[in-house]
This record gives sequence, C-alpha cells and structure tokens, in this order.
Amino acid sequence: MMSSDNISQLFSKLNDLKKVFSYGEKLIPILNSLGEFMKDTVPLLENINKSIAESTSKIPKATNQIQSVTSATEMATTEILDLVDSLNADLSDIEKTMLDVLNKEVDKKEFLLNLIPMLNVKNAETFIKDFLIKNSSSERLGELLLQIGKMKTDSNSITISLQVQDITAQQLATVNHLIESVQERLSSLIADLDNNPIPEEHDTKVNLPAGASFDPNARYSRSEVPQQEVDSIFNKEMQTASQDEIDKLFN
Amino acid sequence: MKKVILVADDSPTIRKFVSISLKVKGFEIIQASDGMEALEVLPSGQIDLVITDLNMPNIDGFELIKTIRSNEDYRELPIIILSSLSGNAEIEKGIQYGANAYLLKPFDSKRVLYEVSKFLN
Repeated sequence: MMSSDNISQLFSKLNDLKKVFSYGEKLIPILNSLGEFMKDTVPLLENINKSIAESTSKIPKATNQIQSVTSATEMATTEILDLVDSLNADLSDIEKTMLDVLNKEVDKKEFLLNLIPMLNVKNAETFIKDFLIKNSSSERLGELLLQIGKMKTDSNSITISLQVQDITAQQLATVNHLIESVQERLSSLIADLDNNPIPEEHDTKVNLPAGASFDPNARYSRSEVPQQEVDSIFNKEMQTASQDEIDKLFN
Repeated sequence: MKKVILVADDSPTIRKFVSISLKVKGFEIIQASDGMEALEVLPSGQIDLVITDLNMPNIDGFELIKTIRSNEDYRELPIIILSSLSGNAEIEKGIQYGANAYLLKPFDSKRVLYEVSKFLN
C-alpha cells in the first residue's frame, strides 16, 4: 500500500514532468527553426568551402602568369638594352669621326692662314679669310657634337629608366611570395573543414623560381637623395665624390 | 691589359646594364648569377674588381663579401655593392664586411664608372 506521503511525492514529480513537457512544447518550434536554419546554412558553408578550394586551385596559375610577365619584361628589356648599346657604339663612332673632321678643319684653316705671307698676291689675305668664313664647317660640327653629347645623355637616361624592370621583377616576386602564403593558409583551412579536397587536376604547388631572392621593399626612384644618404654613411669611413665631380669626369 | 670586373647579380638585366656601362671604357666583364657562381669564377685570378648585388639565391652578397675577405689573397680586392636595399643596417653591414662602395639601384652608369675608375685607375 502506498502511503499518502508517497502519493503526494508522485504528484509532485508528475507536476515537474508536466513542466518539462510544457517547456519542451515551447522549445520545439525553436529547435525546428534551428533545424531549418542548419538545413539552409550547411549547403551555403559547403559552397564557401568549394569556392575556397576552387580559388586555391587557381593560385598556381596566377603565380605562373606573374612569373611569365617577369620573364617577358626581362626579355624585352634585354632587347632594348642591346639596341641602346648598339646605338651608343654608333654614336661613339660618329663622334670620333666628327672630331677627326673638326681637327682637319682646324688644320686646314691654320694651313691657309700660314699661306697668306707666302703668297705675293694682292688681296690674298682678304680672299683667304673671306673663303674661310664662308666655307668653315667648324661651327656646325661643334653644334653636331653637342647634339651627339645630348643623345648620349638621353641614352644613359633610357638605361636608368629601364632599370624599372628589375625593381618591378622584385615587386612581382614579393606578390608571388604573398600569394604563396595565402595559398598555404587556405589549403590548411580546407584541410580542417575538409569534405572538399582541392581538385586534383590542378597543380597546387606554387612555382616560385628556385631560391627566389628579392627585396620586398624595392622601389623605383630617380631621386638622388637615397644615394646621398648612403654616401653620407659611407663618407664616415671613406672618401666619396660629389655628383658634380662625377659629372665633370665623365661628361 | 684590360681590367676584369666580376658582376654578380641574379637579374640578367642588371648584369647587362653594368656591362654596357663599363665596357665603353674598355673593361672586360665576367658575369655571375649568384654568389656561388661568383666564388667559382674568382680563383681564376684574373678578377680586378667585384660588383655584387645583396639579394641573390644560393649565396647572397654579404656571404660573398665575407668569403672573399676571409681569403688572404683577396683582402685588397675592391668590392662594390649594387643593391636596392637602402636601410642603414644593410649599409653598415656592407662596410663592416669590407665593401669599398655602396651604390643604390636604379644606378647612374656615370656613378658606377666613377667608383670603378677610382679603384682601377
């Protein structure tokens, strides 16, 4: 026989159970919503995962294209440099020939002027001097030599400008290095999420040149200030000339 | 007799720039694409001056200078650094390792000629 205490305890437990059920009734719609949410979200997450995998698989192609750009600009720059080199050689030959011609002009003038006292002809001096003024090429040759000098300076400027290729190559190598880091991160993320391995038809290895070495901060600048700063540090140890002294020596 | 200059740089365009700049004054140029290749050329005994980049594969410029200076025969060999690295740390390291000059990229061929002539004439 159950005692009245036991019966009252049973009712109390039943009440508790009723409360749990009524709480469960309230919870069921929330759980349903959560289920619906998960149903919608899981494909979305799978899509994201797949997209990451696909994007990661394209990275090697991107880096290879960057590498191709570097190779192409390197080849073009080398070709331009060969042309500049050949142009410089031609200019030097022309300059040398013109200097010879100019020297001969001077000799010719000197010869004719020395001839005057030897000639016993009336107005010989006036005639020869007039001839020299009218037929002298010295001035024109001097102008042409100046123009050749300017062309050589321009050619030097072209070679400085072309060095942008080297700086760009270093910057592109830096970009490739960064892309490689991103690919590594994404690959490890995919490995963690893993149900979507990276498609096998793509080579996932980034093909950076063997032993790639570059200055990630390489910048193209024609300013003389950075070199002056380097010189000032070096000057403490050694004697370095000013740009004016250098120009004087090589112009 | 022509003076021989060893140019070590992994960039073929820079090696060409330097060659063009120097050969007009009659210098002979030997090229190396990294420090290791430069060290292979050096024992030929014909090198009068070295121009080196700092960032190079295999053996970099600093290592190259250090190795050159550690050899008794090359203590006096003039070395010019040609690099895009402009930090004080690199410049001071260059001096400390025994470089004789430090030129920044992009460089002016007249300046390179001046530095080379300073040591070879």
